[in-house]
Amino acid sequence: MVAPPDNDVLWARALHVKHNGSPALCGVSLGIREGEILAVGGPRGSGKTTLLQCLSGQLLPQQGEVWFNSAPVHTMGPLTRERLRRDRFGWIDTAPVLVPELNAWENAALPLMLRGCGRRAAKTAALEWLERLDIGHCARKRPHALLQAERQRVAIARALVPAPKVLFADEPTAPLHRADRAHVLRTLTAAARSHGITVVLATHDADTAALADRTVSLLDGRRVNTVHLPPAAEAEGRAACSLSV
Amino acid sequence: MLALRLARGAHPLVQLRRLLVAAASAGTGFLLLCALGYAMAHPDPSGGAALRLLWCLAPAAATVHFAVAVARTDPGTRPRPGLSAIGLGPGRLMAISAVTTALSTTLGSMLALLVFLHLRGDLPGVSFDGHATAFLASDHPLPLPAAVTLLLLVPLAASVASAVALRPRGAGPARPRRTGADGTSPRKPARTRAKAGPHADQPEHPLDPQQPAPPLPAPGGLPWGTAVLAAGLAVEAYASRSEAAPGLALPGRFAGGPAGVLGGWALTALGLILAAPAITHLCGQLLQAVRPGVVRLLAGRVLQGEARRIGRPLGVVCAVASGAYAMATVYSGARPSFGPLSTLGALLVAGCTLATLLTAAVEAKHARADTTAALLRLGAPTTVLRSAALLRTGALLAAFGPLTWAVAELAALPLAR
Repeated sequence: MVAPPDNDVLWARALHVKHNGSPALCGVSLGIREGEILAVGGPRGSGKTTLLQCLSGQLLPQQGEVWFNSAPVHTMGPLTRERLRRDRFGWIDTAPVLVPELNAWENAALPLMLRGCGRRAAKTAALEWLERLDIGHCARKRPHALLQAERQRVAIARALVPAPKVLFADEPTAPLHRADRAHVLRTLTAAARSHGITVVLATHDADTAALADRTVSLLDGRRVNTVHLPPAAEAEGRAACSLSV
Repeated sequence: MLALRLARGAHPLVQLRRLLVAAASAGTGFLLLCALGYAMAHPDPSGGAALRLLWCLAPAAATVHFAVAVARTDPGTRPRPGLSAIGLGPGRLMAISAVTTALSTTLGSMLALLVFLHLRGDLPGVSFDGHATAFLASDHPLPLPAAVTLLLLVPLAASVASAVALRPRGAGPARPRRTGADGTSPRKPARTRAKAGPHADQPEHPLDPQQPAPPLPAPGGLPWGTAVLAAGLAVEAYASRSEAAPGLALPGRFAGGPAGVLGGWALTALGLILAAPAITHLCGQLLQAVRPGVVRLLAGRVLQGEARRIGRPLGVVCAVASGAYAMATVYSGARPSFGPLSTLGALLVAGCTLATLLTAAVEAKHARADTTAALLRLGAPTTVLRSAALLRTGALLAAFGPLTWAVAELAALPLAR
């Protein structure tokens, strides 16, 4: 077993994952440096989410290794991985899954409270982050009363509040319109850079990937250097079936 | 046929719930058949037979209640995006759930008929020639239409009730209102939302996963429930003073109170059922009241959110438990010999109400599955979630245990004299 390079905070080697037999990742290796923003690109179904789940310890790869700060994630038990996720990692879903019974600041303060932080300190930190993400005015609203973009920002605040070492964002802007998308991404990347948080950002559009320091492309579960898909030319068979039928 | 296939391919736990419904239906059907048998054996005094039939209402109601709860929890009848896209929307799903309910309850009824016929000795095999032939009426031929009518009661009521409980609503285009001609807004929008029924926990567009459902308003049955409860206790006390009217005595050598006392007890039970959601909500509010940590926060808020779903069956369980406690107190000295049928009925009622409560708890758990998964992704320890659930249960026990005991004591007080 080879020890990972020192400057990589997170390091994966030859990950193989199958979901009930259907291959999701076939031998993906990558290293993530400390403090960088890494975009994982590729079209839908190329294994981005699975890769992020493997890296964050939610999913154990069938083959391959994941190392976090020279600690093997792939050999940890579920409780250790759970503690790792709680203490070191942040996670942003595609759709903002907030706890519907809690209001915005309680949702954002939840990870801190789960870590055992006091209520007052958690509230202060949560309100600070909500303010920084321009949603300080809806700190007392429940999720159902918020707009989708506001909910997603609450989810981002929830991921940022405990100051994680690595933040995983699985297409965090997919359900948003373009104006919201750019704003949310900019706030996310700015916050990450100012706090030195490593970000792994799954995305399928090139604009989002442009904000990152580096892009890793996946295609059909393999790592590729560039995604070369055949150009979307004219619809297939259109000429043959036009007027002559 | 689709209902059959869906029913066949379900999870073992779901099948177990359906089997429990079938068993409850079988028990109720057997009780109804026994009432018929008693009527055949005693053709002259029709009062006793009618009384037995009336007493069958309680197990029948409990069975229907349970069947509806199971139909609502059934994963086969939950709106699913893929099925809705091919036209199997809420309307068809309602029909499927009604058919599934009818299937399991009819299965139970058939079983009841088989057992009844077997005990009468109509079937080849060992017949049961014990002392209990009074309600079997083995020397009379069984009138088949009457038996079938009685046996169809529970399946019909259960499937109609589950269809009504699961009927699609709220998603259609806005209809012109009767009073809306002059452009007046609907009177109480909040109230119509509050009555939006079993899937009210789901948003108006149940297939839109992005929009979380707005929380239901706090259940407000506490004043009414308390009033009805107090009225029931008062009626009971008043009726027990006039020692007369040998009314609705429970058959099977079980000397019951007069009709007034029973009416009062029914009012008490109704009051408990009305007040229970509000009390549950109050419990949740108290749990998360002063500077809560994460466990109390989750437990309290979730309890507030689930007050309607959990509270109603919990109220029924409390009513049944208080009734059982009152009966046990009244008859503790006399050592009454419960007939086998009374025992069966009491077991049915108690089992069905408890199973309904458990089913409602399962339903609540399923409704929160997404949130739980998100919490686990955050790295929430399962111990936190478990202790929140335990705290909820403990709070409910602490609130409803003494309440049930107090109501039962008060209800037993006039009876014991």
